[in-house]
Amino acid sequence: MSEEDRRKKLMQLAAGAVFLAIAVVVALIVANASSDGGGDTNLEGAGEISQSLQGIPQKILVLGDTDAPVELIEFGDLQCPVCAGYAKEILPPIIEGDVKAGRVKIAFRNFTIIGPESADAGSAALAAGNQGRGWNFVELFYRNQGGENSGYADDAFLEAVAKGAGVRDLVKWNQERSQLGGEVANTTAEAQDLGFEGTPSFAIKGPGTDGLEVLGTPESTGALEDAIEEAS
Amino acid sequence: MSFPSEGNLQRAIAFFAALGVGVAAYIAIAEAGGDAPACLAGGGGCETVAKSSYSHVAGINIAVFGIVAYVLLLATAFLANDLARFGGFAVALGGFGYSVFLTYIEVFKIEAICQWCVASAVLMTTLFFLNAVRLIGYGGADAALPERA
Repeated sequence: MSEEDRRKKLMQLAAGAVFLAIAVVVALIVANASSDGGGDTNLEGAGEISQSLQGIPQKILVLGDTDAPVELIEFGDLQCPVCAGYAKEILPPIIEGDVKAGRVKIAFRNFTIIGPESADAGSAALAAGNQGRGWNFVELFYRNQGGENSGYADDAFLEAVAKGAGVRDLVKWNQERSQLGGEVANTTAEAQDLGFEGTPSFAIKGPGTDGLEVLGTPESTGALEDAIEEAS
Repeated sequence: MSFPSEGNLQRAIAFFAALGVGVAAYIAIAEAGGDAPACLAGGGGCETVAKSSYSHVAGINIAVFGIVAYVLLLATAFLANDLARFGGFAVALGGFGYSVFLTYIEVFKIEAICQWCVASAVLMTTLFFLNAVRLIGYGGADAALPERA
């Protein structure tokens, strides 16, 4: 084969490879663009949540330094749309400020009042908390919340949230979540004992409080910050 | 049209491929140790990307595939025949295409950017252009491969 023939053949092969590569990349992008809706980590806000919580200590469902003098406790239901609103609008300034500064820690406790899916989701959040991803799970769940008791919070959705939250050992997470129903029931009973009837409900304790002080449902970041100030 | 000498192209390919081996090896080793690659400017982009399901294909960290690709590109830089020219071009084309896809995933799906992935994408893009220039400029230029009878 002459040099010119070899060159011509190589260029034809190269052109074919380029067309093939373009086709494969376009197909991959189109396939992924139409695969929204759970089953993977491509839930809305996974990256944003991971970045906002980056570097903040987490222990089970407590966010912040364990030695923080003030503990703000949220009793919430993962199916509750108002709770989702708090996670998105009310709490972030407190997390950015007082929690990151080590002055406050926020504990999420399950208060499951909406339906059976709430308890399953709560157990799943606790199991994610055992791997240091509890708050990522809670916030990602809220961000992708569906209609109350509509059946969306099935095993596939919970696993997608766990993946998106960064839970590393999904086998362990799956085993543990089936054993944490009692813990969810305990915190629900605790909320009822405190007189709470809806979610989210808050309580606080710190050097300035006489034990656990019931806050109810403060309606703004400012109201929560005032309570933190008084508890400090 | 004048091209850089093939020797210079080979040296440049070897240089960038060696850098690529280093970047991909760092990502793979950091992930294997249970950590995410450290983002030099802070932020959680690298951790987010490393923990996404897109970071593995068939259970294997994609950085491992990156190492294999860069090593192959390095090997082609030491040979001066049509097999090396086309092989280098094909591997770099595949790596470049996959880098485009991963960049799309980072921006639109994971919503986080990992600097190490960007570094690898830049290296792979550079290697694609170098190998394309090498193939266009010198493809079929010698008879290093034995001619068929």
